[in-house]
Amino acid sequence: MKKNLMLFLIVLVTMGTMFAGGGKESSKDSGSKTLRVSWWGSDSRHTPTLNAMAAYQRENPNVRLEGEYGGWDGYYQKLVTQIAGRTAADIIQIDQPWLNELSARGDVFVVLDRTMIDLDEFDVDFLNDYCTYNGKLLGLPTGINVNTFLVDVTLLADNGIDPDTVWTWENIITEGRKIHQNDPAAYFSSASPDIMRYWFEIYIAQLAGAVVNSNKQVAFTEEQGTQAFAYFKQWFDEGIVAPFSQTSLFYQKFHENPSWINGKTATAWDWVSSMDKAIGNKKNIETRQLPVMEGAKNTGVLMRPSQIMVVNNSSVHKDEAIKVLDYLFTNHEAIEILGTARGIPATVSGRRILAEKNQITALAEKATNDGIAQAGLPQSSWQMNSEVIQTMQDVIDEFGFGRLTPQQASAKMIANLTATLTNL
Amino acid sequence: MVIRKKYSFPGYIYIMPWLIGFLVLQLVPLVRSFWYSFTDFQLLGDPKFVGLDNYRKIFSGDLSFLKSLQVTAAYVLIAVPCKIAFALAIAVILNQKIKGINLFRTLYYIPSILGGSVSIAVLWKYLFMNQGVLNNLLTSIGLPGADWLGDPNLALGTVSLVTIWQFGSSMLLFLAGLKQIPESLYEAARIDGAGKMRIFWKITLPQLSSIVLFNLIMQMINAFQDFTPAFVITQGGPLKSTYLYGLMLYDHGFKFFRMGYASALSWILFAIILFFTGLTFKSSDSWVHYGDSL
Repeated sequence: MKKNLMLFLIVLVTMGTMFAGGGKESSKDSGSKTLRVSWWGSDSRHTPTLNAMAAYQRENPNVRLEGEYGGWDGYYQKLVTQIAGRTAADIIQIDQPWLNELSARGDVFVVLDRTMIDLDEFDVDFLNDYCTYNGKLLGLPTGINVNTFLVDVTLLADNGIDPDTVWTWENIITEGRKIHQNDPAAYFSSASPDIMRYWFEIYIAQLAGAVVNSNKQVAFTEEQGTQAFAYFKQWFDEGIVAPFSQTSLFYQKFHENPSWINGKTATAWDWVSSMDKAIGNKKNIETRQLPVMEGAKNTGVLMRPSQIMVVNNSSVHKDEAIKVLDYLFTNHEAIEILGTARGIPATVSGRRILAEKNQITALAEKATNDGIAQAGLPQSSWQMNSEVIQTMQDVIDEFGFGRLTPQQASAKMIANLTATLTNL
Repeated sequence: MVIRKKYSFPGYIYIMPWLIGFLVLQLVPLVRSFWYSFTDFQLLGDPKFVGLDNYRKIFSGDLSFLKSLQVTAAYVLIAVPCKIAFALAIAVILNQKIKGINLFRTLYYIPSILGGSVSIAVLWKYLFMNQGVLNNLLTSIGLPGADWLGDPNLALGTVSLVTIWQFGSSMLLFLAGLKQIPESLYEAARIDGAGKMRIFWKITLPQLSSIVLFNLIMQMINAFQDFTPAFVITQGGPLKSTYLYGLMLYDHGFKFFRMGYASALSWILFAIILFFTGLTFKSSDSWVHYGDSL
């Protein structure tokens, strides 16, 4: 009896396997293709992307597009693991700094060319600067993303600060201190430790050109580093920014800080692509240009793709994946559906269509135009390396907690960066 | 012999799911990680054999290794004894014969069901952050708040509370152990005039010593490998004061993609855990009492 039961189970399992195989085969026979598309974002991105994918499937009934989407946290770690295990999606949204980091480890993404996609839609320099690796075009920019400076005009005015102030490094201190003086719980700028790192990078870029240059070397001197840290020490001393003990918990999430949410912080550095999330339900937020010192070698203001869409080199449907990409970037209907889910489009027709439909908000348009006008040189791939960023962050943390003087911080930053770069 | 053969086949079938899981999900990764620890494996691309280079680099001045080791040692020293003491104290209280005690036992076990989750870690963050619930409570009664998670001197203790709070499973074991202690021992002690504290130290604790040993070892192993609370609540900060070993291992493996290096780190952690487990076992000869050895 037991033997019979065992035999029955074995036959059942075998039959199941056979049917499963048969199902796959029949799907191949009918010429249908299933492609996976992965991205991160929030509902404001998920919904239009799913709608655009549905529109593609209506036009191409033999294609089934499956979305794999979620939040930002852990996306990169999951992606790299999937690429290593050859289980990554066919079409992948990546962050711009990852293009070099991943491509340096092998032919991970499909090389794109004019025969596949109408590249005239894109700015050539933008493609060359941000989407190529070793001269090969590996992805397409979803949108133009730039640094911006968000200001709460009401909070500034309430503290006797002209909301139309053109910001300089000097008047950030002279004007910004008023806010903390009027209310000890309020600050001029929302700066978690990672945001302080961005400020430091901008300041050093203006002073020395870059933190790490394309020759894999630290690009600033100890004196320049000391000058930068001495400047930012005033931010802590004058209450321009809250102490790290209050902000370190909001690493990479400054917009979750109650101080920012509850209108106790007047300004914030941000990317245009994520400013909607930062603004949330806040009223009276406008954008301004970032401070640039006289004789700056580089404004340090960054412009780069909001994200890059790539095709997985391990995909069995590369041609179809490229067709999908082409559709998402150039098809009139798709552009309308996607709207500004990934920032202001990087394609000429994308911008035109959305402008005609009034889908680009005045705030996003102004912030983007201001950023483009101020944009400096792209950062070197070495400066965008994760270990280099962590090295900078560690020193910024020590400095922010008052464990290092400006001079010590500068010397330590240079020494640690040099050691890290040697190991890369 | 024939009978044994007849019944062993279904036995193998029954354990097959576990066996396959063990081989595919544990043994193979275990062997591979040991191999990777001698390579420069970076997740993408083929690993290249580098001998003992990873181990050499770890022991010759990797500051993050030393820092995380210090933090983890402090974390184990804070979290494990506190958790066991807390579990024992609550178990003794819940061992009383009072009405509705089962409800209390269930309530006290709930943190263990919820404790390790990301959502609880997020909740912890909002409880203890600068403008969080705890500080609001403190200031409402006129007490000063503190940077529970922002002050490098306080953050590790606060994060340890998440672990200590999950005392339920240890508590259940203690409770089961308490039920096994013969009532006659207590009666004899009471007749001899022993007070409550003396009874606890001379009868209850020695009778529970084997359970203390079990809890100590299990909790120590878990604490050495802890990751979620520090990752979700503080991300290792401020100033790496909560940079647990598990977090450092994760950073090397999944942030910098130095899988070979991370594998070496994980084998070092294995050796550390093995050493302390062995040491605890060895020391147990002098303080654990089994059965009638009183």
